[in-house]
Amino acid sequence: MHGKAVVAGVGETTYYKHGQSKDTEFQLACQAVERACADAGLDVREVDGLISYMDTRNSPLRVAEALGMKELRWSSTPWAGGGNNSASCVMQADAAVTAGYASYVVAFRALAQGQFYRLGSGSTLASGGAPEGLSWGLPYGEMTPAQECALHTKRWMHDHGVSQEALAAIALASYANAQRNPRAVRYGQPLTREAYHASRWIVEPFHLFDCCQENDGAAAVLVTTPERARDLKQKPVPILAAAQGAGPEIGIRAFQKKWFPGMYYTNVGEMIWQRAGIRPKDVDVLQLYENFTGPVVMALCELGWCRPEEVDAFVANGALEGPDARLPFNTSGGNLAEAYIHGLEMTIEAVRQARGDSTCQAKDVDYSLAIAGPGYAPGSAILFGGTH
Amino acid sequence: MPRLLGDDFLLPTLGPHTKTYFTAGSIQIQFCKDCGHAQHPPDDLCYACRSRNLEYRTMPGTGRVESVCLVHHPVHPALKTKVPYPIAVISVDGAPGCHVLGNVTGCAPESVVIGDRVRAYFDEVPNPHGGEPLKIPNWARA
Repeated sequence: MHGKAVVAGVGETTYYKHGQSKDTEFQLACQAVERACADAGLDVREVDGLISYMDTRNSPLRVAEALGMKELRWSSTPWAGGGNNSASCVMQADAAVTAGYASYVVAFRALAQGQFYRLGSGSTLASGGAPEGLSWGLPYGEMTPAQECALHTKRWMHDHGVSQEALAAIALASYANAQRNPRAVRYGQPLTREAYHASRWIVEPFHLFDCCQENDGAAAVLVTTPERARDLKQKPVPILAAAQGAGPEIGIRAFQKKWFPGMYYTNVGEMIWQRAGIRPKDVDVLQLYENFTGPVVMALCELGWCRPEEVDAFVANGALEGPDARLPFNTSGGNLAEAYIHGLEMTIEAVRQARGDSTCQAKDVDYSLAIAGPGYAPGSAILFGGTH
Repeated sequence: MPRLLGDDFLLPTLGPHTKTYFTAGSIQIQFCKDCGHAQHPPDDLCYACRSRNLEYRTMPGTGRVESVCLVHHPVHPALKTKVPYPIAVISVDGAPGCHVLGNVTGCAPESVVIGDRVRAYFDEVPNPHGGEPLKIPNWARA
């Protein structure tokens, strides 16, 4: 067990439907950082490290100067992909704080895609002007993460006899849990199994409700040492272990036989279990990033909860729904039903579960795990220790 | 034959690693001359033995559908009249471990399944930047 760094505060803006925020993306980013500090009772000017991911438009230098930070001693970004770094961004904050290079490090992510361009939008790609690496798929209309994850999922379901109901179970659990969470964009909009199956196909085997939302908002996580956290107001949450794993570069490499089909979580699982000294059965509550439901089901198996042939039974009959579920899962509603802030809002929910203040609170939480986006490398995971 | 998604649909960018594949008019896969490793996409060194001694070899032009997804949501304006269309991952005969992307055409899009045998054909398209035409590989049932 590690435990030399703690989460001292978390911050979130209001979460909006895509295009609904009146604040700019940069204002949202700054507000989330301010709120993480307010949650901890720390003057935001004391923050001396900033981390974000996926080519953020909100550079740490701009945030630091705008918020009056005295010194920026650490700035970094986990390389490649997108939501696969919603855990490793906090892992980097842990590394910076544990090494002593900075004292108060905030990992943040802000998204207001309507003000820029939409992720997964093929219409922004000009013919003949796309990066060379995208050329392997573009001429054939292969241009979105939904399609890429569908190709992996389809082969994996075929190989292991996994049914569409396993995918449905993920969507139904996230939506059911969101009905307890007033922050959730889908709060007050429950999903039935019938509505799931009746929803339009995006790309088979993904219906509309198998796909994450698009939202405006920002999230931030403040990391410091246990000693510094003693002078702050929030219950510190220890970071027990974290891991980042290798995998193929995005694009055509991910379809080569070496990697196909796969979500790049077998190695992440081996690392996190070894570092934490626990096994999947010991996890009290799990947040597992849903870009699409298929990758969630695949990652559950790669991480070791069950074998692929068992996964239909593992997720059936509401096994993931509610605080008393066999495996309390995506308790805020996740990317599907709370908000898609590139998964950092799910890392925050894992912190909340460790603090004991979720709207869908699991009992006696010792181990609260957040798994970042599957299907894009490097995958990452972070384990928080309970405070009860 | 007109391209499945329209003759004007997005074209590959020709660069050091894509030019051969999209202009040869045959299925070209990169092999290591030292250890015999086949790799796709091509790169500047062999991923098996780190050799820089690489060459393209002509494959028979047949393959097998390893996965397929049927696209219903058009993410590009030009695709609104083209959905549903299939995207397939195809293993290339003669190049162990190498998979390419393509459509499987000439049949009902929903009829394409894992295990289908396919054969490559080439859509010839003028290069908008001048020079030799593109010959974009695509696949039909064998």
